Amino acid sequence: MTVHAIEATAISKKFGNLLALSDVNFSVANGETFGFLGPNGAGKTTTIRILTGITVPTAGTATIFGHDIVRETIAARRQMGIVHETSNVYDDLSAWHNILFASELYNVPRSAGERRGKELLELFGLWERKDDRVKVFSKGMKRRLTLAMGLVNDPRLLFLDEPTSGLDVQSNLIIRDVIRELTGQGVTVFLTTHNIEEANLICDRVAIINRGQIAAIDSPERLKKTIQSVQSVEVAFDPSSPKLLEHLRELPLVSEVRKEGDKFRLITEDPSGVIENVTTYAREHHTRIISMTTIGPSLEDVFIRLTGLMIRVKGVKAID
Amino acid sequence: MTDLNESCGQLCRELKAAWAIAKKDIRIYYLKPNIIVSGMLFPLFMFLAFAIGRDAPPTMLVPGLIAITILFSASSIEPVSIPIERRTKTFDRLLSAPVSLHSVVLGESMSGFLYSTGIALVPLSAGIILFSTPIVQPLALIGGVLLTSFCFATMGTLFAAYPTESPGDIMSMLNLVRLPLIFVSGVFIPVNALPQIGQIAVLFSPLTYGNDLIRAGFEGTTHFNPLMDVLAICVFILLFQVAANHLYRKFNE
Repeated sequence: MTVHAIEATAISKKFGNLLALSDVNFSVANGETFGFLGPNGAGKTTTIRILTGITVPTAGTATIFGHDIVRETIAARRQMGIVHETSNVYDDLSAWHNILFASELYNVPRSAGERRGKELLELFGLWERKDDRVKVFSKGMKRRLTLAMGLVNDPRLLFLDEPTSGLDVQSNLIIRDVIRELTGQGVTVFLTTHNIEEANLICDRVAIINRGQIAAIDSPERLKKTIQSVQSVEVAFDPSSPKLLEHLRELPLVSEVRKEGDKFRLITEDPSGVIENVTTYAREHHTRIISMTTIGPSLEDVFIRLTGLMIRVKGVKAID
Repeated sequence: MTDLNESCGQLCRELKAAWAIAKKDIRIYYLKPNIIVSGMLFPLFMFLAFAIGRDAPPTMLVPGLIAITILFSASSIEPVSIPIERRTKTFDRLLSAPVSLHSVVLGESMSGFLYSTGIALVPLSAGIILFSTPIVQPLALIGGVLLTSFCFATMGTLFAAYPTESPGDIMSMLNLVRLPLIFVSGVFIPVNALPQIGQIAVLFSPLTYGNDLIRAGFEGTTHFNPLMDVLAICVFILLFQVAANHLYRKFNE
């Protein structure tokens, strides 16, 4: 029998009368990179808190490499590293003392902890600053240190809660490289993120959770195929004008138009028909097409479709 | 045999983790201004308020000063550190580590215990050096200081279980308990001199038994049997530990 890295079975969680999670089922294979996507308040953090044994589910079970997280909490936690959503490092300690504390908490022997700590601080570009108090670190440096602390026990399973949210480019690149390296070494990664493109690039499979329920679980490419009707044509004009948006909405075969930077994205079920219509429009209105590309559905489109969210100019509106 | 080895190994891991938590608290919190005020200055001023103008011998006053210093210093670390760690989410790091909640509670209590034991040396040294107060039963004094420190450190950890991110919330609740304890523990007013209801109330205060042992160190006599003092403090420690574990678990759900 295959032992999954994570096996969540019929998990539900109630806070008073609020049902935060309802009958959540999924499994994550050993070595897999699994993305957990959902809008704010969908139940991502509650799921992570249950899987890491911080919170107890109201119903259902979860196992980590076969260890029940409620009954065998410590054995399950020994397999995992956790990088919480907030960079929960000790500001009044140096980076070195932070990482040594994490290694002591995970019962890594002193010499091994020091060796691993040095490796990780070097890997994350923090070795030169190891004796500085963390309170003077930038947000990106704190995030890198948090990730380093999560890896100090060489976990088989790594929980990453929004690892790159709001970070500078350098920190982002370092963290993504490290995640790729870890997955290359066979470490299982459970990633929650708002960054759908990040999940698309990194994850073998993603689950989309909405209002406490799993809406879909599959590989990013398979999920995209489920909504082939959401194809689009991306076009840029010269000159561009605000009136274009209104005119493009009136073109036949176009169901929706979004302005994305200096381009327009025309959602359609018939891209070739839309290309003809746009070409005709440009000729008739004496405007030049700079570029035009057909685009298949993105993971973001899947997310929007499944979570019932549609981004509008004036905010977020539910469409279901 | 394998089970025994595994159990010993786990116990060892738990104790190491508890010590790591205590060390972390020592590094971060011992010199925080609100801990110095609450743990050192507050008991000193309380003592002066009672002692000045009273014609009491040092052997009567010094044990009382040591007892209230321990009460305030031991119970001041966790009510500050834990809400701060809730706010910075570092407390989640402890709750998600591969150690039991008992070890987290023990580690937090250990930092208060060590802080208080260290602080208790100040009035003790002052008593010996400035007032030439004699120590007649060193074992009772040492036992009293250590047990009372651990007991009130655990009490501080218990109060810090209240799920708030503001140290002030916990300190307010804690002072509702700590301040009355001074009056019903024989610290400044001997147990024999209390009214009937007061003499019943002292039985429910852990400070009574700690103060009794510390006083025995200087005066050589105790109000209760010293073994009963030790046993009573141990019962309070156990109660506080069990209650703290229960509350941390409950509030995390």
